[in-house]
Amino acid sequence: MSYLEEIQAAIIEGKHAEIEAMVSKLIEEDVDLNDLINKGMIAAMDVVGERFASGQIFVPEMLVSAMTMKKGLNLIRPLLKAEEAEPKATIVMCTVKGDIHDIGKNLVIMMLEGAGFRVIDLGVDLSVDDLITRVMEIKPNIIGLSALLTTTMPEMKKVIAKLEENGLRDTVKIMVGGAPVDRKFANMIGADGYGEDAAQAVRLARSFVVD
Amino acid sequence: MGSPDFENIRIAARHEEGERVPLCEVLIEYPIQSQFLGREVTSDDLESQVEFWIKAGYDFIPLTVGMMSPGKVTDESAISKVIRDVMLKDTPDAEDQKSWNLEYTHFINNRADFENFPWHIASQLDFSKFYQISSLLPEKMKVIAVSGKIFTLTWMLMGFNNFAMSLIMDEQLVADIFRKVAEIQFQALEEIFEMPHVGAVWVVDDLAFGTGPMISPQAFRDHVFPWYREMAKRCHDNDLLFFMHSDGNLMPLMEDIIDIGVDVLQPIDPTCMDIVEVKRKYGDRLCLVGNVSNELLRSGSAADIEERVKYLIENVAPGGGYCVGSGNSVPDWAKFENYMAMRDATFKYGKYPIQL
Repeated sequence: MSYLEEIQAAIIEGKHAEIEAMVSKLIEEDVDLNDLINKGMIAAMDVVGERFASGQIFVPEMLVSAMTMKKGLNLIRPLLKAEEAEPKATIVMCTVKGDIHDIGKNLVIMMLEGAGFRVIDLGVDLSVDDLITRVMEIKPNIIGLSALLTTTMPEMKKVIAKLEENGLRDTVKIMVGGAPVDRKFANMIGADGYGEDAAQAVRLARSFVVD
Repeated sequence: MGSPDFENIRIAARHEEGERVPLCEVLIEYPIQSQFLGREVTSDDLESQVEFWIKAGYDFIPLTVGMMSPGKVTDESAISKVIRDVMLKDTPDAEDQKSWNLEYTHFINNRADFENFPWHIASQLDFSKFYQISSLLPEKMKVIAVSGKIFTLTWMLMGFNNFAMSLIMDEQLVADIFRKVAEIQFQALEEIFEMPHVGAVWVVDDLAFGTGPMISPQAFRDHVFPWYREMAKRCHDNDLLFFMHSDGNLMPLMEDIIDIGVDVLQPIDPTCMDIVEVKRKYGDRLCLVGNVSNELLRSGSAADIEERVKYLIENVAPGGGYCVGSGNSVPDWAKFENYMAMRDATFKYGKYPIQL
């Protein structure tokens, strides 16, 4: 088994207790760190996402894999060149006004952090005005909006309208998700993308960064 | 519509046709009850609540006992009182909902938190309404005791991410919390079994997201289902029916749910489950309740509701084993005329034998 296959297996199987020793050993052996991240760890999380989407694994297994990846990344990041060590993007996440459900949002945050994004959790029941204020302070690349209720989904549209009103819409990508949300709704309100689950949200965020 | 008679529910639970398709809900919020009666109904006003459930056409009234009620966690929930009055006593946090409401926060991160949690106080449950209500019920009407929330309460006490990861990384801690919560819920059941006016126990415990189970089916088998199985057995030993409510897509868990001994499953979440398929596959072993979408109750017309109820009665009710109800519970944001349309359509089309 190659070192990349070994690291992939460790992340897929969620070997959180072993990952640091494995990564430290590979660092000592002077392997290509970019390969370790991209061909080893990120490739492993893609498999985790696929297995979750197809019902082979469930949230606990996915979260432990994401935590395992984050532990490994934390060892590697200080060794990368300055520009490579920067997070891929900053993402602010929140559940919209009137909605206090946060399971989905928190899963997405764990997966995004595992994938190397800087994520700032703005919590639940966040008013449009408070979100705009925080966006002006943080200047994120991506905003992730979550809602569980059909009654709170319209808040997402208000967020986009307010961003436009404040001249901020073109500075960020917006991704939306949550049980009642679908791609059609995302398109209708002018979001940049919709993630059906946490793994899709990671793929979506990556696609925004590549763009 | 006839007088309330819990036998109608028992007949449906045996997958037999009675006189009519029963109505069934685990919760109808007070503003809807108030509109129906034309006067305000409050949580303490048991007399008006009983009047509502009779006049609206139900054969039972659901009454909560346990640490958490269905629907929102409120300052009335027993677990909230424990957290506010014991854990946060004499701190400014006791007044801040975000400090005590389990929908915002959690309290058990590790074994020390588990051991220090005031379980002995959490187990002091209030049965007063159960005793008060017995004299208000017509002869054949029963109470369904809404109780037994084990899975949800455990993960809410831990926070979902912490719970989910602990399930793999510290499985014994999770198992111990499940056991503690279950013991308290079982203690409540023992008192319920002594009450002749209780006809069933209804466990309200969401197990699934729209995409599927919240944890693996095997983890449910290891940690949750053994408690339900014991609960169902004790209910059946005491001649009570065992109801279960769970949102989400339960299809990967259906064989387990039947095997545990669930008699009645509600609400067959219309956002992700096809009730006609569920009826075809499992209808001879399980009574189904609900499936009138809450979104339709909010945004549809009365004609939309009538059409949906007619469809459900036509496709799910023949042969028995079905009760009409919402896709979750009846919230205060449902249109009142739509709630009435669901009820009226059940009376209009739900007479056995079904002729549609």
